Amino acid sequence: MNAVRRAFDSDVFLGIVRYRVAIILVATVVISASLVPGILEFRALSLSLDRIGTTALVAVGLTLVLITGKLDLSGGAILALSGIAAIGLQEQFGQVPAALIGLAVGVAAGVVNGILVVVLQINSLVATLASMLFFRALCHFLTDSRPFSGLDPLFGLAVSRPIGGTFTLRTILFVALLVLVHLWLTRAVAGRNLFAVGSNAASAEASGIRSNGYVFGTFVFAGFTAGAAGVIQSLSVNTGSPVFGESTSLLAIAAVVIGGTRLEGGRGSALGTLGGLLVLAILTTAMEFSNIPAYTQSIVTGVILLLLILLDRFVSGKKGRDLSLTALLRSVRANRRHPENERTLAP
Amino acid sequence: MTINIETVSTDRVVKQGFLSRYGTTLAMPLGILMLLVVGAFLSDRFLTIGNLTNVLINMSIVGIIVVGMTFVFVSRGMADLSVPATVAVGGILVLMLDDVIGTWPAALVGVLIAAIAGVVNGLLIGYAGLNPVITTLASGTIVLGIAQAFVGGVIVYGQDPGAKEFLTGRLFGVVPVIVLIFLIVALLGHLALSRSVFGRWTYAVGSNPHATEASAVPVRLVKAGAFVMTATLAGFSGVLLGISLQAARPAIGAGYEFDAITAVVVGGVSLLGGSGSIPRAIGGLLFVQLLTNILVLQGVPSEPQGMVKGALIAGAVALDVYLRRRGGRE
Repeated sequence: MNAVRRAFDSDVFLGIVRYRVAIILVATVVISASLVPGILEFRALSLSLDRIGTTALVAVGLTLVLITGKLDLSGGAILALSGIAAIGLQEQFGQVPAALIGLAVGVAAGVVNGILVVVLQINSLVATLASMLFFRALCHFLTDSRPFSGLDPLFGLAVSRPIGGTFTLRTILFVALLVLVHLWLTRAVAGRNLFAVGSNAASAEASGIRSNGYVFGTFVFAGFTAGAAGVIQSLSVNTGSPVFGESTSLLAIAAVVIGGTRLEGGRGSALGTLGGLLVLAILTTAMEFSNIPAYTQSIVTGVILLLLILLDRFVSGKKGRDLSLTALLRSVRANRRHPENERTLAP
Repeated sequence: MTINIETVSTDRVVKQGFLSRYGTTLAMPLGILMLLVVGAFLSDRFLTIGNLTNVLINMSIVGIIVVGMTFVFVSRGMADLSVPATVAVGGILVLMLDDVIGTWPAALVGVLIAAIAGVVNGLLIGYAGLNPVITTLASGTIVLGIAQAFVGGVIVYGQDPGAKEFLTGRLFGVVPVIVLIFLIVALLGHLALSRSVFGRWTYAVGSNPHATEASAVPVRLVKAGAFVMTATLAGFSGVLLGISLQAARPAIGAGYEFDAITAVVVGGVSLLGGSGSIPRAIGGLLFVQLLTNILVLQGVPSEPQGMVKGALIAGAVALDVYLRRRGGRE
């Protein structure tokens, strides 16, 4: 029993847990590649990335919201609303201005969420549930519950076609955004402050960080990325529809949590979200290539999600250890030389 | 030894204004009364026995879930998002098994399997201490996937019109059976929450988990119990839904989780736990249902009604937060 506990407590095991996203990603790629021939071809990869692209853009904003310890259920509804604005206003304003208005609609929706959560002090789960119902109903009201098409299908082609034969616009956009957000979270003072707000808003406030401002900002940013997802999605299929994105929010939450961001706030990573998204994208494509029905896919996704949060729960008590890659390598190398010193090396 | 207990003069207790004292208690009955008056003015079909009975029938299925969801809210369990899955399990199982083992045993199987899903939720949330939102989200996805795999993703049809007639019929030609079942469940739930030890534990766990744990209350059991109860009741209402429609598809329960949360929140039960009651949650449900009914009678299509529901939730919670601050309870 003691040996088991020591094994769970060892730096190597905690290191595996820390970088689980990367390990799961590699495992997914290896298993898919050995079971499904052709999945690692460039075209298949580019396609599966494009398919997850809409969810991914929503997940970018959601990562920040989750780090502050809040939740946003309204991403899917905002997505549909901005898409409807981008397609429906083409006749009055022209195509490019309409797309910009679609983005603005997303930002405005994020501001509404921010007001509900920060100014009115409503719990974010309930607040974004309310705004989700509201925005979704607004979509149905504006469109009479019918999907409608835009002016020029060729305009949308530019969005959905791979740029220079490599990746589509939304793939490049979400990867670039995730990298930028990662840099912001790890290098910028404001990014570090965000973690403080998520860990303990009151003490963050006491150390001179305007918690409410940060929370408000993350909701606006989440609205913006959901709006961008909606505009790109609607343009690429040249349709505005009130039912777009009905399952997007939940899938995006799953991707962010698989990526290691905690719902309780204070911990998370944008690169982790990227890993979570890649896992979901490759998993979905691999299962579809091998004709596995959609409900089996949802069982697999659910089980992975559940196992990960369980794992996270059982190792979350062991904080305060240096688990960066270099420190891990150092301790592994030291252990190899003096195996009996394992316990003393762990601080 | 005598202990001299001095009577505390009332001046030391913060005196509250009438609004903050009775505002939260009286708001809901007044709101419902107001809706009745407004509805009667807007449409002469509104205040008829037939229409109001229809409102009651419509709220019965989701009302049974609301009873369980209230326990989750009061015990500070956030919310149960796996309700659509457990509703589907109940509905699908009862219709799949009704020609094999008979409708009522099949109903029992449906409720039991849903309860097992609830036990899993309870173990994960109560004992392992996972976040309820993401846990019920994941478990709901899994359970719904299994239910779909079970039937191959198609619609199941029932074989027992007799059971349907019983359920949609009326007792003594007046009281709809399904409303009666709902009222019994609501009454039992109310008694369990307000009169039983488990109910008192539920309030204690929701108000202060640490202090409650220190008082030797099985906090984990109480937290788990709320989720087991919600899943069981959701399975039960899935069974009722399946029998009364005689057809069930995997998406049969979609939206019920949000409807139940809406009702509980509009009823003024706080997500922070420790307060609220079944009658308040049911009052919230009745309020939403009456409002929906008025909108339908005014010819508003069902989808845009979500705008009113969304505004209602935000308004109700914002009002609650405001009243709490004025009452000085924060």
